[in-house]
This record gives sequence, structure tokens and C-alpha cells, in this order.
Amino acid sequence: MSPMRPRPDVCRTTSAIWNRHPPCPPRPVRAHPIQPCAIGIEINELPLTQTFSFRYQFRSPKYDRGPLHPHQPPPESHPSSRLFVPGPFSSPRAEQSYESTVAPDIMTLCYVHTPPGFKPPPKAPRLREWDDSSPYHKNRVLRGPRGGDVLRLLRKPIKFNNIPEIERITIHSYVKNAAAENSTWLHVAGIAVQAISNMRVETFKSKSSVATWGIHPGRDTVAVKAELFGENMYHFLGKLVDVVLPRIKDWEGVKGSSGDSSGNITFGLEPESVAMFPEIEVNYDMYPPKMIPGCHITLHTSAKTDKDARLLLSAMGLPFYGKIVN
Amino acid sequence: MSSGSNSARRVASLLRPSIIDSGVCRSCQETIGRRSYATATPAATESTTTPPVVTPAYTINAGVVLSRPPQITRELEPFEKAFFFYQKRLNERLALPFTKYFYFKRGTPADEDWKKKIQERRTAARDIGKYNAYDSDAWNDELLLGAEQSEPANQIEALVQDAESTANATSQDTSKKEDIPRPYSRITEADQKNDQKSLNRLLSRTLYLLVQSKEGNWKFPTSPVETGETLRLAAERTLSDSAGVNMNTWMVGYHPVGWHQFNAPRAKKGETAQVDASGNKVFFLKSRIMGGQADLSINTQNLKDFKWLAKEELPQYLNTQYYSNIKNMLADR
Repeated sequence: MSPMRPRPDVCRTTSAIWNRHPPCPPRPVRAHPIQPCAIGIEINELPLTQTFSFRYQFRSPKYDRGPLHPHQPPPESHPSSRLFVPGPFSSPRAEQSYESTVAPDIMTLCYVHTPPGFKPPPKAPRLREWDDSSPYHKNRVLRGPRGGDVLRLLRKPIKFNNIPEIERITIHSYVKNAAAENSTWLHVAGIAVQAISNMRVETFKSKSSVATWGIHPGRDTVAVKAELFGENMYHFLGKLVDVVLPRIKDWEGVKGSSGDSSGNITFGLEPESVAMFPEIEVNYDMYPPKMIPGCHITLHTSAKTDKDARLLLSAMGLPFYGKIVN
Repeated sequence: MSSGSNSARRVASLLRPSIIDSGVCRSCQETIGRRSYATATPAATESTTTPPVVTPAYTINAGVVLSRPPQITRELEPFEKAFFFYQKRLNERLALPFTKYFYFKRGTPADEDWKKKIQERRTAARDIGKYNAYDSDAWNDELLLGAEQSEPANQIEALVQDAESTANATSQDTSKKEDIPRPYSRITEADQKNDQKSLNRLLSRTLYLLVQSKEGNWKFPTSPVETGETLRLAAERTLSDSAGVNMNTWMVGYHPVGWHQFNAPRAKKGETAQVDASGNKVFFLKSRIMGGQADLSINTQNLKDFKWLAKEELPQYLNTQYYSNIKNMLADR
């Protein structure tokens, strides 16, 4: 039996909540029980008298006892589940402008007209066959593409059902002082990233050795990361594009060569820029001086190429500069 | 848009014996037409009823759907308001309590202000009304019918008043009263006057430019494509010819987003059809206005008026057939 761990991305303690106030609320008892045939009585007119504090309340099991046990946890979306995360709380402006303006414009821009009866010229297969010059070629797995082993993503024509959209945003901060000095650096970085992202951060140990900073692989915790989806993601993007980036001095934009050539774009923010997020700015004095971290922000889009991703992100308000690659 | 099959049908219906007056729908007409080809007998009757064959020649026009995208967020549905509010209170029940001692030093004015407020509203959140998630009454987290707490306007007012009272309580200068600016109204002056020429009207909707010809017909700016001109160039020229150059616009792509066709009036019985009385086809290109305003003073298309209208206002001004052809290329919001 393994204990069910609370989800790391919400700031709460499950056991304390369950002992003190069960989320499955007992219903109020009315003074007159409402009969189905009682016509003309408004429910809200009846006074509340008492609550059943002793009524049976379902509690999600604390431990996973297997699929055959009669006490099974409710689905994650149910408020009585221990994994339930409330939300959404709002409809973000950036999301609305994507839906109303950006997505239809991208669909119009990316339309390619082919006359009726047009057949695209045949392309070479992505994985090459073996020329049966040897009997050992039989049933061998296919060869990779020429000039490298990487199979790029297939880009399909953009139609109404595959308009590129932002899927998630990752905020990652590597704190080099965390190993050489003390863990305060990591705590401050974690709190700063949590403040700007509204999500619990994960910490990571170093994978590589950096002798000059005294970092040893597998020993030193050196990085924090937060992953944003949905409402949090669009609120973060809105703050970034409308509040933070316009105030950075001499900021040209995101480098045109940024991106992993499959539709994910990364750029970095200096510590001074991170301090410009409104959540940090309102109580800037609470953070130890000079400890606010810089961070890398990765925008993961559903576009299959960087070109499409750049089209989407520049429509959302992120400028690009310099040499455009891919 | 299945433009190809539609136009093919129209051409076919033009070439076929006319049964349009019999009140049969178009798909049935085609079925009837096919049957008549299958049977051998009506060949004699066909020769008597068939009008002279007209090859339809169309004038190709470029139209511009110039739009101003929504500037502010939309109004929330009542269900959305209720849902968001319910989720906020649910979050208050599930989240860890606010760590007051981390944010407020004991004995400071901010701490005193906090104590006063927490007694009033009983929770750390400022926009969910009076509700304590850690109370024995915490189950009572739903609003009664007609409660105002879930309205966004009320929540904004609660936040601003909270900020004002904090600023007043913690400022050194007690003589001056702090004033936190409220957000601008969602309803503008142009909304109140219903000024349909203004771009400041209906900020949460897409507005489309309509122009009125000398004869009084409303339409999108349209003009025939000249020889050697692409559709995109023709659309750009149309815009500058009709609504002036005092606008910063951006054409979205090179392809039309919709089309409309009006045929020449049908020849009456007994008269011979004129081949040169051709119909018109308009292909609409999408465009966005970034700045400026339409100006008809130097237009070369004999236009007398223009209006910026939302989608649901268009049917009042447009011909029914025209509107039904263009409505699907307009945004919902």
C-alpha cells in the first residue's frame, strides 16, 4: 500500500483540510420539507434552520488499496477528491483575444489554395528502404533520413482544426549560487517563480558538473521549474507581454534563431526583468536584495515548425529580431 | 465554403429547362432534371420549352471586409460568473490559510488595517464577499438567487475600495485622501450616443465597415478587378478609393475569405436574353484597421455614407441574400 501523495502543484495540505472542514458540504435542512407537488413555494423563501453536522460525508480513501477494494477514490474532478484542484477562476484576456482575433487570422494567413483535382507531387519516404543487395536486409528496420538521424515533425496544412495554439509555458531558473553558498538562493528563486507563475515549483538536481561553481552532478539542487497550463498560462503571458517586456530597457525582442525547430520557442529574462512582474514589484522589499533570479521561459506551441510558432507568438505580442532561422 | 459545387449548380440550373417558377427547391430541381434525361420521351417537349442557351459571364469584383477586432474582454455569461465565484470560494476552502505574520509585521499600521478588515470580511480574499472557509458555517458557500457578489463590477469595486482604505490607513499624511483610479467604463460615450461612425463603440465586439452607395444600398467596399491586377492589389485599391488613405490597415493574407454573387435580372418570357447583361461575383478579402478612420470625402466610387457595425446589426442594412452569403465569414464576437 503506497500512500497517495498530494499533487505538488497546489499549495495545500490535504490531511489538515480533511480533518477540519470536509469539502463535501452537508446540505441545509429546510423548515418545511419540500414536496415535489408543492407548487408556488420558492426554495429561497424558506428559512434555514439547522445543519446535519452528523450526516454521512464521503471521504476519499487516504491510501490506494487496489482496484478491488470497495472504498474507491472519486474522479479527480470531484470536489471531494484529494487530487481536486479548483478553478478556473476567470476567463483570461489573452485567451479571449486568441480565440476572437488571432486564431481566425492565422487560419486565413496560412490558407493554401489548390485547384480542384490537384494532387501534390509525391515525396520521398521519410524512412528509406534497404536495397535488397544482401539477404540480411530482409525484415530489417527502415533506415533513417539522409544527413542525420533526426525525423522532423510532419507539418500538415493548417485548417480550422489544427490552428497553432500555445499549449504550455515553462519557467525555468538555474541558480548557480545554490551549491557554492547556501540554499537561501534556491528558496528565493522558488518563491519568486511561484509568485509570478501562480504554480508550485519543482526543484531539480544538477545533471552536469560545473567545477567553477562547485556543482557536482546528482548532489546539488540547482534549479526550479514551474509549468503553466490553461488559465495560469494565459494570465502569465498577458502580464509578460503587456507589463514586463515593454518596460525592459533596450530589449529588441526574442532572437529569431531561438526555437527547437518543432514549434517551441525559448528566451531568457534577466533578474531585473523578473523583478518587474507586478507580483514581485508590489512587495519587492520582501525579497532578499540581489537574490531574485533570472529565468528561461519556454513557450510550447502546437505548431509543428518554428515559423508557425513565430507567427502565433508575434500575433500574441511577442516581437522577434535578427536572423530568422527555420 | 463549397464554392465550386455551388457555382457549378448555378450554371447547371441556368442551362437546364426552367422549372424554377414551380416552387420546387434546388436539390429537387436537380433530381427532376436528371430524371428527364433518363427518360427518352420528353425530348419533344424539351425542345419547345428550352430558352436560348446563355453563357453566364461574370464581372469579378474585389471586396474588403475591414474590421476592428474586439478591444476588451467579452461580458461573462451568468453561468460563468456563478461558476467562477463558486470556484473561488471552493479554492478558499482548499488552500492553505493566509500567512499573515509573513506579510505584516506586528504593530505596524498595515497590520492594524489588516486586523480591522479581516474582522469585517472574515477571509483573506477580497472579492468573494463575507465568507469564512475555516468556520463551522463553511459549508454555506453558495450564493442565493439574485446575490450581487458574483458580478465582476462588484468584485472590482471591492478590490478598489480595499486598496483605497489600505492606502489611507498606512499613509503618513492623514490630511490627504488617497484615490485609487477605477478602471475605465466598458460603455463609452459613443455607445451611449449610438454613434455608428465611431470606432469606440461596442469595444467587446468586432466592428465591420459598411459603405452606402448613391442609390442607398449598403455593402462592403467593392470594386471590379482591373486587367493585370491581383485580387489583393484590387482590394487594397478598393479600400483607398472608397474609404480613403487616412487609415492604417493590414490585409490578412492573399486569399478571399468569402464570396457573393448576384445574377443579372432574368429575361422575361418572349424576350431574348442578353448575353452582356452579366452578373457580378464579389470575392471578399479580410483586413484589419490598426489606426485612423474612414473618410469618404475623396472617394471615387460615389459613396455617400459609412458605418461601423457589429455582426448582429448588419442584417438591418444588408440585402437578405447578401447577408446570408457573407455571414459565415464574420467572427462570432
